[in-house]
Amino acid sequence: MMNLSRSVALISLFLLPLLSFSFSVDNPTDRRVLVLLDDLSLKSSHSIFFSTLKSRGFDLDFKLAEDSKLALQRYGQYLYDGLIIFAPSTERFGGSLDSKSIADFVDSGRDLILSADTSASDLIRGIALECGVDFDEDSSAMVIDHSSFSVSDVDGDHTLIAADDLVKSHAILGKTKIEAPVLFRGVAHSLNPTNNLVLKVLSASPSAYSANPSSKLSSPPQLTGSAISLVSVMQARNNARVVISGSLQLFSDKLFRSGVQKAGSPNKYEKSGNEQFATELSKWVFHERGHLKAGSLVHHRVGETDEPAIYRIKDDLEFSVEILEWSGKSWEPYVADDVQVQFYMMSPYVLKTLSTDKKGLFHTSFKVPDVYGVFQFKVEYEKLGYTTLSLSKQIPVRPYRHNEYERFIPTAYPYYGACFTTMAGFFVFSFVYLYHK
Amino acid sequence: MMARGLARFLVSLLLVAICNAASVSQPISDSHRSAALDVFVPLDGSYKSLEEAYEALRSLEILGIDKKSDLSSGTCENVVKVLGSPSSALKDVFYALSVNGILKCKSGDDVPKDVVSKLQAGAKDAKLLLDFYYSIRGLVLVKEQFSGTDLTLGDAEAIFRSVKALSQSDGRWRYSSNNAESSTFAAGLAFETLAGVISLAPSEIDQSLIQTVKTGILKLFDSLRKYDDGTFYFDGSEGPISTTASVIRGLTSFAASESTGLNLPGDKIVGLAKFFLGVGIPGDAKDFFNQIDALASLEDNRFSVPLILSLPSTVISLTKKEPLKVKVSTVLGSKAPALGVKLAQALNSKGSSVINNQELKFDADSATYFLDSFPKNFDVGKYTFVFEILLDESANEKAYITEAQTKVPIAATGAISIENAEIAVLDSDVGSVESQKKLDLTKDGGVSLSANHLQKLRLSFQLTTPLGLVFKPHQAFLKLKHESQVEHIFLVKTSGKKAELVLDFLGLVEKLYYLSGKYEIQLTIGDASMENSLLSNIGHIELDLPERPEKAPLPPLQPTDPYSRYGPKAEISHIFRIPEKLPAKQLSLIFLGLIVLPFIAFLIGLTRLGVNIKSFPSSVGAATSALLFHGGIGAVLLLYVLFWLKLDLFTTLKALSLLGVFLLFVGHRTLSNLAAASNKLKSA
Repeated sequence: MMNLSRSVALISLFLLPLLSFSFSVDNPTDRRVLVLLDDLSLKSSHSIFFSTLKSRGFDLDFKLAEDSKLALQRYGQYLYDGLIIFAPSTERFGGSLDSKSIADFVDSGRDLILSADTSASDLIRGIALECGVDFDEDSSAMVIDHSSFSVSDVDGDHTLIAADDLVKSHAILGKTKIEAPVLFRGVAHSLNPTNNLVLKVLSASPSAYSANPSSKLSSPPQLTGSAISLVSVMQARNNARVVISGSLQLFSDKLFRSGVQKAGSPNKYEKSGNEQFATELSKWVFHERGHLKAGSLVHHRVGETDEPAIYRIKDDLEFSVEILEWSGKSWEPYVADDVQVQFYMMSPYVLKTLSTDKKGLFHTSFKVPDVYGVFQFKVEYEKLGYTTLSLSKQIPVRPYRHNEYERFIPTAYPYYGACFTTMAGFFVFSFVYLYHK
Repeated sequence: MMARGLARFLVSLLLVAICNAASVSQPISDSHRSAALDVFVPLDGSYKSLEEAYEALRSLEILGIDKKSDLSSGTCENVVKVLGSPSSALKDVFYALSVNGILKCKSGDDVPKDVVSKLQAGAKDAKLLLDFYYSIRGLVLVKEQFSGTDLTLGDAEAIFRSVKALSQSDGRWRYSSNNAESSTFAAGLAFETLAGVISLAPSEIDQSLIQTVKTGILKLFDSLRKYDDGTFYFDGSEGPISTTASVIRGLTSFAASESTGLNLPGDKIVGLAKFFLGVGIPGDAKDFFNQIDALASLEDNRFSVPLILSLPSTVISLTKKEPLKVKVSTVLGSKAPALGVKLAQALNSKGSSVINNQELKFDADSATYFLDSFPKNFDVGKYTFVFEILLDESANEKAYITEAQTKVPIAATGAISIENAEIAVLDSDVGSVESQKKLDLTKDGGVSLSANHLQKLRLSFQLTTPLGLVFKPHQAFLKLKHESQVEHIFLVKTSGKKAELVLDFLGLVEKLYYLSGKYEIQLTIGDASMENSLLSNIGHIELDLPERPEKAPLPPLQPTDPYSRYGPKAEISHIFRIPEKLPAKQLSLIFLGLIVLPFIAFLIGLTRLGVNIKSFPSSVGAATSALLFHGGIGAVLLLYVLFWLKLDLFTTLKALSLLGVFLLFVGHRTLSNLAAASNKLKSA
């Protein structure tokens, strides 16, 4: 018995550092990432991408996609916080892994980077479809663009796309603008229009189309123009994040290091935008940016500091909430001018934009409406690329009490005057009546 | 296992194909040099182990990057420590000597005696292949670096035999005699070891022994694997790059050590070189080292030095009239001997030959071969050029080897002329032209058309190549985009000389979802060999289509704009109930004044009437009770005032009941006093 408890203590001591690395709300960055490859040489050919991840503190576990010992969880506990699937040709994963367990992995709030390529397998297409991304059904199709391809001396197919139609979101792609076009060679996908969680990060130009470059077209291509998405992201309702790319080469050392000149443009860049794009995107997907946390909703009457149990109609109140953003290392104050609060009972009675003190505190003040009932303070914050904040706090509002109405109404002064003059008259008259002689 | 191997093979194939899209190998260039500086970055000024240090230093040395001075101090300290310590493992000693060979930390006559004896003992007692390898190669390194020592192996032949004993019949080697598993990687190590034994042997090794090793090498070449594009590699559990590099290192040193020479198949040697060049730039330090080291071995060996034909550009622009350039160099990019390059054939996409047997001119300054003029019938399109290298074998001391033929896909691009572009609306039944507009597709036009479902839209244009032939582009799309963002794509097909598209709206109403209104017309023409690919907004057409029947399909859902989905909502502020309107305060005060007037009139009336209070009792008792009575009444009235101002009903009633009782008592006394006084008056 002694031995057992001692060994348990020992094991937990051993597990402690492991546990402290795991995914948590206080430290939302993924730490342990499983990388599935269909060839270990990808480890070397995509080493810059992997080494930037490693240098940011990620613990990468490289496995072959067909490894028979693959498992995402053991004894009901997930072994990893993130998953990178760079295995476009894999038809079946080894071990216990399949598309359902990957969907469960995302459903548990964990993150995924999925990269397909030309001739992506049905398995990879299936996982993408779960996320609202539809790859071109034609397995030999590639994105071709005869107007915005990358000028190159060795590519005569115009399948190396220089794409610069990026989503405008600081949260997803960072504050520094990606100047150089992003090189892309791979398969096109479209987004399911009914899924509003998924969005295009890198779109093709209007002249792009998806077809097999080496055969003549007999029917119009399925995907054309800027409806083609090259790289998409999905943020689930539980804030799990997914990146889906149609090109595995986009992450390769070769394209990271390659120079780029977009056809018809005089600007020549020494280095393509791929490295910056992939790095910033990986920061987003692993919650190093755009992950918000809110403190509790604080409210009180103007001039007071304590939160009342109930408000009276027409009270003036002050409302504040603290919102912080995870920077990868610590929680930094979040600055924005579009956070709003609602004073809500069945429908919003008051909707106000909060002003910020630039230190993370958002505040406003307003008058409680003259409707009584059970209200809620609601902060529902949705912004492109950021995690969704949904906070609410219930507070009742009562009408005036009997003694809270106006006490001496000037309009009633004549009545008061009548009463008191009568009383004074009575007092005088009582003397006159009793003692007159 | 089989399936996995196959899949891995396929993917590596894909990778090679991707890295090397044109299947033309480029020799090692400056991009490798700049990448090397990133790959071999020492941590805090020194490498983790001497092995890593050697790999880094060796790769940088081969690439001609001088970083020795930055690294020597820390690394040399390690080297001296390992060589000085008697307890160092053979492996560490070997790598210390390897590093020393590059950095020259210790040299000259200062022979580390302990190390030599240790290595010699190691070679004698070794049972494992790796022990043989480290000790023999270590001794070779000592021999190279330190002069004046007797390092001869007394029993070289015995050692040779015991190493040879580990070989397998298929040309591979085992790591130890008790381990049956054989490996190609080990074969490479064994060749290097045997080469070391030969060079250290005091007398010649028995030729028959060497001959058996040579047959083993040829057997090993049977296990060579091949990709479709003619590259060869050895596969093994250490990965293709490491395994192939190990074999090449072994072969090079083996060939260098013995005199009769190895006769290896030349195409396979070129294939191995192309394999390493096809890898691209590995990001892993180990792969990088293996690639560079193996290529360096191939560059300088005694069997055959591969030459690589490369093209700086495989896209020829016919408008720029650039010559086609070809370079021939060794794998590491150094100059090739004098030779000739011949364009044996140029096949177009249909497979017919356009150019035959044309020798390329040589430009000595840039060391390039070039084809400056193309035949008259050379048009835009995709070609396969077949090059041959003509080597003058007698003129070279080294045995150079090249591919028999190098096939290179070439894309010839040019400006395509677009003519006679016009758009027209036709009446369906008679085909008469309703309205016809000429188009200039190079500019966005403002064409405005209108049609109903009984009419047709016709778009036509002519594309011709610089040679005046009809050009069929890969991409010729007409896009109709409705106001509601619903898009329809139509292919413009080329028939005869003209590319033409006729849209019969009667047959298309269903496809257009019966959506009437304004459609934007966009034409995209593009091809890989077309330099002036274009995207032209022609204008718009106003379509008048019949009403949508009940059962017709609805237009598909269009994706929403992500920017509009988020963002702040309009503010809402509560509208409060307006308080009831009250008269002005002045008005109330005026009325208050009016109300007070009767009281004043009452007081004035009393004085006018001449009222008095003469019958106020004069006796002390009666006067007291009268005063108390009136005081009581006053107190009740005051209580009412207080009730109005602040008291509540309960306090008031309590006080009132007390005052009432008091009043009753003093009132009775006062009244009875008054009554008694009036009775007295009456009776008097």
